[in-house]
Amino acid sequence: MHPTTRKLYPLLALIALVGATLWATSFGTLPPADFTFNNGTEVKSIDPAQVTGAPEGRMIHAVFEGLYRPDPKTLQPQPGIATTADAADIISNHGKTYTFPLRRGAFWSDGTPVTAEDFRWSWQRLLHPGTGSQYHFVLSAYIVNAEKYHSGTVEIGDRVEVELPDRLRPGQIFPRGTMLYGRLLSIDKPKRPELAGQVTEEEAAAEQAAWKRQWIYYLKIAGKERKFSQSPDAPSDIEKCLSVLLDFDEVGIKAVDPHTLKVELKNPTPYFLYLMQFYVTFPINRSCLEKYGYPEWIRPENLVVNGPFRIKFRRLRDRIRLEKNKQYWNADVVKLETVDALAVESSTTGLNMYLDGDVDWMPSPPGDVIPKLKNREDYHSMSSLSSYFYRINVTRKPLDNPQVRQALSLAIDRERICNFILRAGQQPAYSIVPPGLPGYTSARADSYNVASARKLLAQAGYPGGRGMRTIEILFNTSDGHRKIAEAIQQDWQKLGVDVRLRNLEWQTYLATTRKMEYDVARAGWIGDYPDPNTFLDLFVTGGVQNETGWGNRQFDALILKATEEPDAERRMQILHNAEELLMGELPVVPIYFYMSINLVKPYVKGFYSNSQNLHPLSAIRIDEQAKQIQKSGRNGT
Amino acid sequence: MISFLAKRLLWFFVTLWVVFTISFFLMRAVPGGPFDSERKLEPEVKQAIERRYRIDKPLWNQYLVHLGMAAGLLSEDGQFRIGFPDLGPSYRIRDYSVNQIIAQGLPVSASLGILALSFGLFVGLLAGVIAALRRQTWVDTGVMLIATAGMAVPNFWLAGVCIILFVFLIPLFPAAGWGNLSNLILPAFCLGAPYAAYIARLTRTGMLEVLHQDYIRTARAKGLRGRQVIIRHALKGSALPVVSFLGPAAAGILTGSLVIEKVFHLSGIGSYFVEAALQRDYQLAMGVVLVYTVVLYTMNVLVDLSYAILDPRIELE
Repeated sequence: MHPTTRKLYPLLALIALVGATLWATSFGTLPPADFTFNNGTEVKSIDPAQVTGAPEGRMIHAVFEGLYRPDPKTLQPQPGIATTADAADIISNHGKTYTFPLRRGAFWSDGTPVTAEDFRWSWQRLLHPGTGSQYHFVLSAYIVNAEKYHSGTVEIGDRVEVELPDRLRPGQIFPRGTMLYGRLLSIDKPKRPELAGQVTEEEAAAEQAAWKRQWIYYLKIAGKERKFSQSPDAPSDIEKCLSVLLDFDEVGIKAVDPHTLKVELKNPTPYFLYLMQFYVTFPINRSCLEKYGYPEWIRPENLVVNGPFRIKFRRLRDRIRLEKNKQYWNADVVKLETVDALAVESSTTGLNMYLDGDVDWMPSPPGDVIPKLKNREDYHSMSSLSSYFYRINVTRKPLDNPQVRQALSLAIDRERICNFILRAGQQPAYSIVPPGLPGYTSARADSYNVASARKLLAQAGYPGGRGMRTIEILFNTSDGHRKIAEAIQQDWQKLGVDVRLRNLEWQTYLATTRKMEYDVARAGWIGDYPDPNTFLDLFVTGGVQNETGWGNRQFDALILKATEEPDAERRMQILHNAEELLMGELPVVPIYFYMSINLVKPYVKGFYSNSQNLHPLSAIRIDEQAKQIQKSGRNGT
Repeated sequence: MISFLAKRLLWFFVTLWVVFTISFFLMRAVPGGPFDSERKLEPEVKQAIERRYRIDKPLWNQYLVHLGMAAGLLSEDGQFRIGFPDLGPSYRIRDYSVNQIIAQGLPVSASLGILALSFGLFVGLLAGVIAALRRQTWVDTGVMLIATAGMAVPNFWLAGVCIILFVFLIPLFPAAGWGNLSNLILPAFCLGAPYAAYIARLTRTGMLEVLHQDYIRTARAKGLRGRQVIIRHALKGSALPVVSFLGPAAAGILTGSLVIEKVFHLSGIGSYFVEAALQRDYQLAMGVVLVYTVVLYTMNVLVDLSYAILDPRIELE
């Protein structure tokens, strides 16, 4: 080594260190937004067809607009792109046909008008099996033939659409390859391979899908007979295709003219307008998606929006900065010029930022400080449309015995859990459907009663818990869930039942409950729309979210009957009967109803507590005067 | 030196490949997949998603494609290309690719790490030298007491105390966030403090040893002033243990940053390290692991190199 190198080296190292430090501290400052709130996490996506969570929902509500938007106070549907929410103007054919008149003054941010075709196309994309939307049922469960289109079911004689494998971007559904339309003459199905030994439900489904891909479809297209197969290995005389689906024109979604959207439902659905303000039904801009492709079209610089805000920039894990969309049809109402949605995951950090004045709205503060926050004027809480419950695996002994389940439910002291563990005013739950749904009275399971629990357990053949094996409570790792499980463990031990706790990290917990490898598992459900059905139809026999192994024909029949019942009052009664059945058999044991808790600075106006915890940003405004007073008198902890 | 670097470069690729392979199979061995959620998917929806992200393919096929992509030799649909390593799409943050996510987060993590390390070096060296020169006085005892405490205190605890003190009691700094220098001071302090403490102890020990060496006596004998002796002769020798500590310190700062980033809401890549694995976002977890491997490996090579340059007795081999 040359001596000069040796001499210069410490100097070089020093220069490098100083240089690096200078670089590390050279970041531009960002002016604060008019309104800053904690969105809780980095959003998965801003594509309405891809997401399910509340943080994503807030962003989609900010940048897109559907037919309706919820009133910030009552959540009643308010006209969005549709011009009226008056049922008499929209609904015909005994509640089965909805004709939505669309606003003429609504534009996309690229200047083109929002039309009925935008809805039709966006909904087609949502329903397309290749999109993989988890919330497709918001449409597919209600609209004529939507389920058939989504599941890729075709029958002989159906009008079908065939997509040829010549897409511009192979991994992406839109723009689609060449489309052919015709009538299905017949299907040539090869022999279905036998499945060897025990297979799980998922393996069987995968096998069926693979088998379906081998089918050969005989179609009549423009007077000519043609053969298609999805299999790339099909013989050369058979044309290759990507999919054979029901012709989308057969689905009950019609763009009658650019400003009239007509939807045909399978059954009268009294809460359908509420579904139309759910973010998955919001339209997206077709030309934007087709031009940039997925996922580039969602980038702030490319995204074309039709909602009250547009995205100025997005810094991953840090924030999404929204700015007012001047082209929004109702821009006059929007008072905020800029909004920051922070992705703070730690609720303690979020609370610090709120108390320090960096954040104006903080949803879900950490549970253990709620008793201290409760009496503040900026503390807002309200029971929300969601339940915390335990699933019971009824395929396992001794939990297959309803008397055992009833005994276990009777022995849980829910009041103690609410008053001494949760302490934020949560209500103990004796039903699966939360209170507060207009026109509905919940069916109640019996209240806390250890004596009758003991009696029932003895009747079931386990007097004093003798002969009963150890029951395991499974929950996803969280202090809160552990405390509740421990309380229930103590309650059940009073019956002489041994209880073991087992916690698993979230993703493993989901996989474990799905495979039904549990005795009792913690669960929660947030209502998708304000109707008891959103909680009850989970538990129909073999339902995808059932996961208890429980099934009851009478229950299934009641749920079905309720969907077909046009009279609102009678329908609620039928749903009540169904819940009564559920609460008698108790494959799920309700524990408590969640609260939605928000900390909101007093100078934030237009913010109201409501049961679905929806707070449209377009309704929020800042009282600048009050803000200045608050800032100068900086109230700390 | 060239042959040393060439050899290290070769081992660099071997290390990356081993890390890639082990992480790839370990992650997938855990139950639960990236698309499991509370709302169960119908088989056809799940298959559509799995087809899109190519996780319906056999594992060895996925491994080869992802390895090829990470090596910059394959495109996502398996076509040959030569280009920048592509870590694929993120399953969780679906609007961005892993490359884009890391490109956004790495500068934040890097500036936090650099600040923490410079703080640690500056304060540590200074305190160590002072303690050594004032040996067995109250200054020495005080500095070493603080240093011992500093090493024992976990950074999340320190962060909590600092927030109470400097955000709420004496409102000097913002509670959390990213935007300007004042946002970075508390996190860099909390992250760097334990290293400052350790470096102070190392410097003190090294300094005391060097001060008894013959060449220092010679330097003094030829009439150099005290300050010059320390800066020109003693410091170099006593910094050697500190230099060799920089490798492990960089590792510690990287892994420590995930806690600090969370507490102070900094949008670096530290928080992805754990969360991506928990959410089974295989590609993102892999990306972060690979970035960490590269950083650690580079730091270690730099340390070895500096060591050889600073100490003439050491040969690069």
